[in-house]
Amino acid sequence: MRTLLGFCLLWTALGCTDPGPERLALAEPAAFASMILPDDNPTTKEGLALGRRLFFDPILSADSTVSCGTCHEPARAFADGKSLSVGLGGRTGRRNSPGLANVGYLHQTLFWDGRAADLESQALHPIADQHEMGGSWPAVISKLRRHPAYGPAFLDAFALDELRQLNPDHVGKALAQFQRSLISADSKYDRVVRGDAAYTESEALGAAIFFDLGDQPEEIKWFGRIPTGECAHCHTAPHFTNQRFFNNGLDEQLDVAAFRDKGRGAVTGSKYDNGLFKVPGLRNVALTGPYMHDGRMATLAAVVDHYDRGGHYAENRSANVMPLLLTGRQKTALVDFLHTLTDTSFVNNPDHRPLNSK
Amino acid sequence: MKYLSAAFLLLALLFVSCEDDEDPFTDGEVELQMNFTGDFDGRDLMVQSEAYAYPGGGQLKFQLFQYYVSDLQLVPADGGDPVILSEIELIRYASATEDNVESRTFTVPSGDYSAVRFGLGVKPALNNTDPNNFSANDPLNENEFWNANARYVFAKIEANADLEGDDIFDAPVTIHMGSDALYRTVTLSQDVSFRPGTDAELTVVADIFQAFGGNSDTYDLTVPANRRVHGGNQNVAAGVFNRLAEQFKLTR
Repeated sequence: MRTLLGFCLLWTALGCTDPGPERLALAEPAAFASMILPDDNPTTKEGLALGRRLFFDPILSADSTVSCGTCHEPARAFADGKSLSVGLGGRTGRRNSPGLANVGYLHQTLFWDGRAADLESQALHPIADQHEMGGSWPAVISKLRRHPAYGPAFLDAFALDELRQLNPDHVGKALAQFQRSLISADSKYDRVVRGDAAYTESEALGAAIFFDLGDQPEEIKWFGRIPTGECAHCHTAPHFTNQRFFNNGLDEQLDVAAFRDKGRGAVTGSKYDNGLFKVPGLRNVALTGPYMHDGRMATLAAVVDHYDRGGHYAENRSANVMPLLLTGRQKTALVDFLHTLTDTSFVNNPDHRPLNSK
Repeated sequence: MKYLSAAFLLLALLFVSCEDDEDPFTDGEVELQMNFTGDFDGRDLMVQSEAYAYPGGGQLKFQLFQYYVSDLQLVPADGGDPVILSEIELIRYASATEDNVESRTFTVPSGDYSAVRFGLGVKPALNNTDPNNFSANDPLNENEFWNANARYVFAKIEANADLEGDDIFDAPVTIHMGSDALYRTVTLSQDVSFRPGTDAELTVVADIFQAFGGNSDTYDLTVPANRRVHGGNQNVAAGVFNRLAEQFKLTR
């Protein structure tokens, strides 16, 4: 019996000696549905700190010159200001770097073509992509294991017994934890929704066009009869994306099989998905230009002009992309509203920057 | 003795935590597969890949057909309380790589039933709630709401039409419907018996062509105002929505 008692006490004691990584509850705004966290990668103090360090460290690239932060700059709401991302050795990538505000809330798929199922797997793609960080995973893991700070940090963050257990999944998990912390919820738009601010007249007109408030003819509003912008069918609040894929009429194409960048079609294998790209979230959109999956539009005014014209023909162009007939004032108002999605507290948040720049 | 009690408690805890979960099914339950099938004029609805002839000479390629179902339930043959299968479901056909059948599986008591009943749309009690009150992956958080102040779009039909017969599908058709006033209860009567150990499967068929009035009362897509029906012209939407509510069929 004494042996049994000793075993039980030892079992209890062991359970108390190593609490493991410290769980962190992200400060999520009440206005958002709670973020969905994977069971095998909760946010922890150690994991978040490790992810933040890795995000801005070029150690993950082949020649230690390119980090995630190279194409995702905090001051640009984690976009890079370039049409196409530029990777290792100045190689130009295929797609525009999207902003990352509230990326943790996008639980369906990631990338313009949706080729990653979640943040953990998304983070693994650029590191081995020859147009981005150009690395090889065995080399990256070897570097991290030998590194005097990263080795212990991985052991702590994921309760590993030894560095041989460190693998790419842990890198993806740490980066995902940091990206989930990139929450933007204090733009002027948010403050207006909360009743803490008021739009200017032009911003209010833009909001009315964006959300199709003019589509209620039975009740004439202060702005009179206005066209609908048809924006919020896809750019649905609060994250301003419905996370689905559409052809928004960028290129005329009589044969859907002939799209040069097949987008979603390259992932699904269906020609009917060619030319479809994921609807990007619009938070901080005034900071994340150039726009579209290939950065072909330099300004928000150009984007509004595109949608006003109704886009170019392809049989799979979204049925919600149609000529809008906006006046110059209405287009300006729409751009003014989009500027209200800028959250300066987000882009200036010291917790979103490299550790040594805090 | 004190330590002995503590050890006993720990062992009991260990035993309880290691016990297998109980089988969730009892002898009196069956697993029911509910299928929701999308059709156009009796043909399988294939998103984007198929063209469907429309009365008057046009043709349509669909991009989206979806509708909310509230309080999906089985009505017992003996008049007892209905068996609620689900409070809310979003039935959506939007992918060129998927077929026209959406399936859900429910565990239900075996027995005799006389009907399937559901509300077409989001029931008023839910339609007036903030989507962000629900889980991010809840059907009510599928970004199908009008705007920040108005709630859910109950049903959507989106397509591109070729109205000139030139195989150019350049006339967008986008019909969005939903308001408390539009909410309709659908009852599909059919006597069914579910016995333990047998397959239980029911199929609810929705045919967009019938929602468009079929051949006898065809919705006129040559009228531009009929092709774009969003928040402001719900009186037009009501016609399509009511026909949608009336055309459901139940098969085994």
